[in-house]
Amino acid sequence: MDPVLIANGLNISFEIVTLALVAMGLAVTLGLLGVLNLAHGEFVMIGAFCAFFVQEQGLSYLWAFPLVVIVCIVIGWPVERTIIRALYSRPFDTILATWGLSLLLREIVEFFFGPGFNSVDQPVSGTVNIFGADYPLYQLLVMLIAVVLIGALVAWYVKSSTGRRIQALVDNPDLAKSVGIPTIALARNTFIFGLCLAGIAGVLLAPIVAVYPGMGIDHVLKSFFVLVVGGLGNVVGLVVGSGVIGGAESIVAAILDRTAGYTFVLIVALLFLWKKPGGLVSR
Amino acid sequence: MTNKPRRISRRSVLAGLAGGASIMALPGGIRTAGASNPFKMGTFFSLSGPASLFGPTQTACNALAVDEINAAGGILGRTVQIVAGDGGAPPAEAAKTAVRMMLRDKVDVIVGSHDSAVRQAIVGALKGRIPYVYTPLYEGGECAPNTYVPADTPQQQVRPSINAMHDSFGTKKIYLIGNGYVWPQQTNALAKRYIAEFGGSVVGEEYAPLGPGNKFDDAVTRIKNANPDLVLITLVGGDNVNFNRTFAGFGLDKNIKRLSLLLEELTLQGIGPKNGNGLFSCMSYFSAVDTPANKAFKARYAKKFGEKAPPLSMIGVDAYSGTNCAASLINKAGSTDAKAVMAASEGLQYKTATGTGTMTNRHVAKDMFLAEAKGAEFKIIKSFGKIGHGEKCSV
Repeated sequence: MDPVLIANGLNISFEIVTLALVAMGLAVTLGLLGVLNLAHGEFVMIGAFCAFFVQEQGLSYLWAFPLVVIVCIVIGWPVERTIIRALYSRPFDTILATWGLSLLLREIVEFFFGPGFNSVDQPVSGTVNIFGADYPLYQLLVMLIAVVLIGALVAWYVKSSTGRRIQALVDNPDLAKSVGIPTIALARNTFIFGLCLAGIAGVLLAPIVAVYPGMGIDHVLKSFFVLVVGGLGNVVGLVVGSGVIGGAESIVAAILDRTAGYTFVLIVALLFLWKKPGGLVSR
Repeated sequence: MTNKPRRISRRSVLAGLAGGASIMALPGGIRTAGASNPFKMGTFFSLSGPASLFGPTQTACNALAVDEINAAGGILGRTVQIVAGDGGAPPAEAAKTAVRMMLRDKVDVIVGSHDSAVRQAIVGALKGRIPYVYTPLYEGGECAPNTYVPADTPQQQVRPSINAMHDSFGTKKIYLIGNGYVWPQQTNALAKRYIAEFGGSVVGEEYAPLGPGNKFDDAVTRIKNANPDLVLITLVGGDNVNFNRTFAGFGLDKNIKRLSLLLEELTLQGIGPKNGNGLFSCMSYFSAVDTPANKAFKARYAKKFGEKAPPLSMIGVDAYSGTNCAASLINKAGSTDAKAVMAASEGLQYKTATGTGTMTNRHVAKDMFLAEAKGAEFKIIKSFGKIGHGEKCSV
């Protein structure tokens, strides 16, 4: 096969998979819980800084994964208790509250690490030859891990009883409570789980991108488009939305350039909001 | 910094709020007069927005220059006082601040280190009524009345470096990549002329949108297929980091040299020590410049700000030289009258971090350096000496 075609195929796959990776946490907090968390990108940023922090301490990159889960629980628990819980049925107030939270988190990280760029070394370096196309080994690994994570998330949501309880919680909170589902704890855990997914995405992306306090916006903007296209309230929509947004952007970018790709994504997102606000996969 | 149509998005709302918050967080905001009749200097440094990582260095270098100017008798015998504005704000916002500085705060001079869109907005707002000194590096061609530009020009950055790369490494086939706005596009237009001068060729040219960070996997794939000897990079900030990390990740650094035109210490830190193989930069300042003047400058900077000093880089140190430029300009003119200042600018000599700047045609011939990334630091591999700016503004 043509190596150029292979290279472009790998690039498009990487774009789709990393988009889904970042949007995964958002699909949980927004899609399942109905909380529009504007601080989602900041948790991706915190994940990236966890990777930077462990490397700076001379530890293995892998320590960033347990660290980010701990950090997200430590931040997410009080945030859910004090800010989110009171606002579950007030979506617009949630937007304002999490917006404030995003500013606060960015300032805190900037206070400790400064406003500048940091770099995280790739835990595995070098390229592998895939049918004639040289591709970075680490990016290949990220794709594999992301696919496994997304597959596990879909399987968990569809198969497990927790997934069904969340469905019940979202569909009818009062009924869910009356049949004995601990709705308060379930909502809290789901929220924190969404944050942890964002943090893990940050850890995985850190060795490829610029790590700085304002990086959240770089990664989260298109995740909102993914959910617009894919539809809320269903993890399958995440996969579909990522495919449409990531695929469309990288195909147009490969043929023309990045500006055209970005413009195309905006048009697609607008068309969906206008003609199909429920997204491709509605609940 | 953004040049996309403004939407009500999370990003624009956030950016607006962040901008507002950082203005409110300014120490003292607009300070009231301390001395009886202070000389007011309006500043536009990147207090918010994508370039805000340079803000602390710009502010510190400006403060050091003001200290030294005041110790030497101030400007026109008056103590210099700073009126701070945000150069990281959207252009329209910066223009409003400039008007407010001029009419309400009655500033005597404005010094700015920010992007070209903001410069054009400030020039439009001031209309030459007060002297304006623009300091970083830019695409050239700014000849507005009463506007003085000690910034690095393409003739200073691109011509010597691209020739030096050709002489040292035989790089003839060149690929151009930048962000889609005025500085990269105009710089590349001139670069093409300089490339043709030594018989090189341009094998590709592309621009990535300025705004949220881009991925560069597809660009790197195109570059690999075009097979250049050298990539001339006019990407800025996070995109410069992302591109260079991806470039090295795909292994292209083994065979293709890179020359970046806005690559200073802070951006290099983001690119990381493992991704800087064959990566070069050409500017008028690097912290690593080993001249007595720069050593003395670094010592004075360290003495004033101590261990917590913001790291020195081209974007930041330009504020030191620019502040000195403004002071010398007005002291030489003997007033802030536009005609007198315009006349005084020709042949003006002033103190920079690395030596002395000489202004002609309201631009500055200066020492230029070619540096190579070595781990997390720059190594100066060539000093070009004084390079002319190539600008033809009348005075």
